[in-house]
Amino acid sequence: MRDARNLWSRRLATDFRAALAIVAALAAVPLFVSSPYWLGILIVSIYFALLALGWNLLAGFTGQFSLAPAAFAMLGAYATALLDYHWKVALAIGIPAAIAGTALLGWILGRIVLRLKGPYLALTTLSFAEIARVVVGNSHEFTRGDQGLNVPALMQSRVGYYYLFLAVLLAVLCALHVLMRGRAGRFWLAIRDDETGAESRGIDVVRFKTLAFALSCAICGLAGSLYGTFSQLVSPELGLLLQTGLVISMVVIGGMGTLAGPIVGALLVYLSSEWLRGVGNIQLIVFSLVVIVFARFFRTGLWGLATGRR
Amino acid sequence: MSLLATSGLTKHFGGVAAVESMALSMEEGEILGLIGPNGSGKTTALNMLSGFLAPDAGRVWLAGEEVTGMKPVALARRGLLRMFQMTRVFARISAFDNLITAGLARGLSEKETQSRAQALMEELTLTPVQYLDAGQLSGGQRKLLEFGMCFIAPPRLALLDEPFAAVHPVMRETMAGFIRRRNAEGHAFLVVSHDMPIVVDLCARTACMNAGRLIAAGPTREVLKDPAVIEAYLGSGSHA
Repeated sequence: MRDARNLWSRRLATDFRAALAIVAALAAVPLFVSSPYWLGILIVSIYFALLALGWNLLAGFTGQFSLAPAAFAMLGAYATALLDYHWKVALAIGIPAAIAGTALLGWILGRIVLRLKGPYLALTTLSFAEIARVVVGNSHEFTRGDQGLNVPALMQSRVGYYYLFLAVLLAVLCALHVLMRGRAGRFWLAIRDDETGAESRGIDVVRFKTLAFALSCAICGLAGSLYGTFSQLVSPELGLLLQTGLVISMVVIGGMGTLAGPIVGALLVYLSSEWLRGVGNIQLIVFSLVVIVFARFFRTGLWGLATGRR
Repeated sequence: MSLLATSGLTKHFGGVAAVESMALSMEEGEILGLIGPNGSGKTTALNMLSGFLAPDAGRVWLAGEEVTGMKPVALARRGLLRMFQMTRVFARISAFDNLITAGLARGLSEKETQSRAQALMEELTLTPVQYLDAGQLSGGQRKLLEFGMCFIAPPRLALLDEPFAAVHPVMRETMAGFIRRRNAEGHAFLVVSHDMPIVVDLCARTACMNAGRLIAAGPTREVLKDPAVIEAYLGSGSHA
């Protein structure tokens, strides 16, 4: 692309408009779909879209390949559930507490893995994710282990939940757009492309990497916390590596480093996964093959294919 | 007061003394050349001056303030910027966006950065490729872009590591012209280079390193005639 459309601000504006159009289309869905089952599937798709946006902030925009998004969703869900279970803390406080707690944990993890790159970073975050899941699963007295914890619902209406998740998706999208349009977004892209170069230009790499970690984990924590109130049950299964694998495939297929891509990817992968359920338990095989094809031939994902960026 | 001064600057890698007791100084508005054969310690010295490597011993002052061991981001805030031998541009955003990012990193407003970036693109003859991703530029264009990123908010001192290596003569002249103009405005440069004609042309003073030690420093033409410098480059007996 040789014209001014290749400027970051223009690319981001186009990307954001496309993401808004998808959210607008999703807002109209309950007018045509009344099945509680399919609304539930769409709510879970939006939950994954939130995780995908959170992971994409770290991996797609900042170049930090973490394998812990599902673990942070689990921790967010457990933070809300445990506050309710042990101390009867209202959800109005439990959900913000989950966001703050996962942001703090993300910040700490970010500081720990600051100097790690590539496979070392991925393995360290994977270790953290597995340790968190095993600790939660084995702390029977505090978390009830694999039995899981019940969480009160925010509301009874499934349509209400659908619009709540959609509103949160919209809010996260707008927040990411504002961040990516400003200094932080440009510095994250610079860190992604060349960390040493970014440092030499005067960018505080330590500060912006930990900020990306904290925000990404907070988004995942928020998604997990909301999901817990929707499903009314949280268990260590939320943090399975399999869930992280799904999130990664959603972002790779949709388009890394974009706003619309992770949402498209999440909808496509989760809805197809539901359709494929009827064929047999082959979803992961299919998605793994699709991810290989995209990673090899279409590295910018569906969004890249749609906009002509290869 | 010197703009940059070092004393006893030392860095060892295992048993190898990459830089040993280096004492260097340069003044405001000066272009200082730093020459020496491959492996003589020039880049290690630059890495320590720009904060990318902590010295084992010795001290560094920038405009009278001790900056020994400071991180690159702290040094950039004090006006010391560095260009690398292998260019460090942000490959997946446009060349123009590279300049905007560099300007914002130096604390400029977006509006100010935009107008400076436009002017720099023209001066560096990069306007035709300003909307290409930086990763698509040629090696020479990337070096020019790095000049732009350094000078979007002019530094007090720019450390240039082999800026002219493997660059087309026309682009080399564009770079040399850029350095001359900025120097006329009072900006100082420390230029590491093997390109002797350009060192002679640009640098009033030059320092030469060999095997980690500073073996000569002074007016460029005198340094190039120094038997120790000739021997370092051409081997023993060559000045006889």
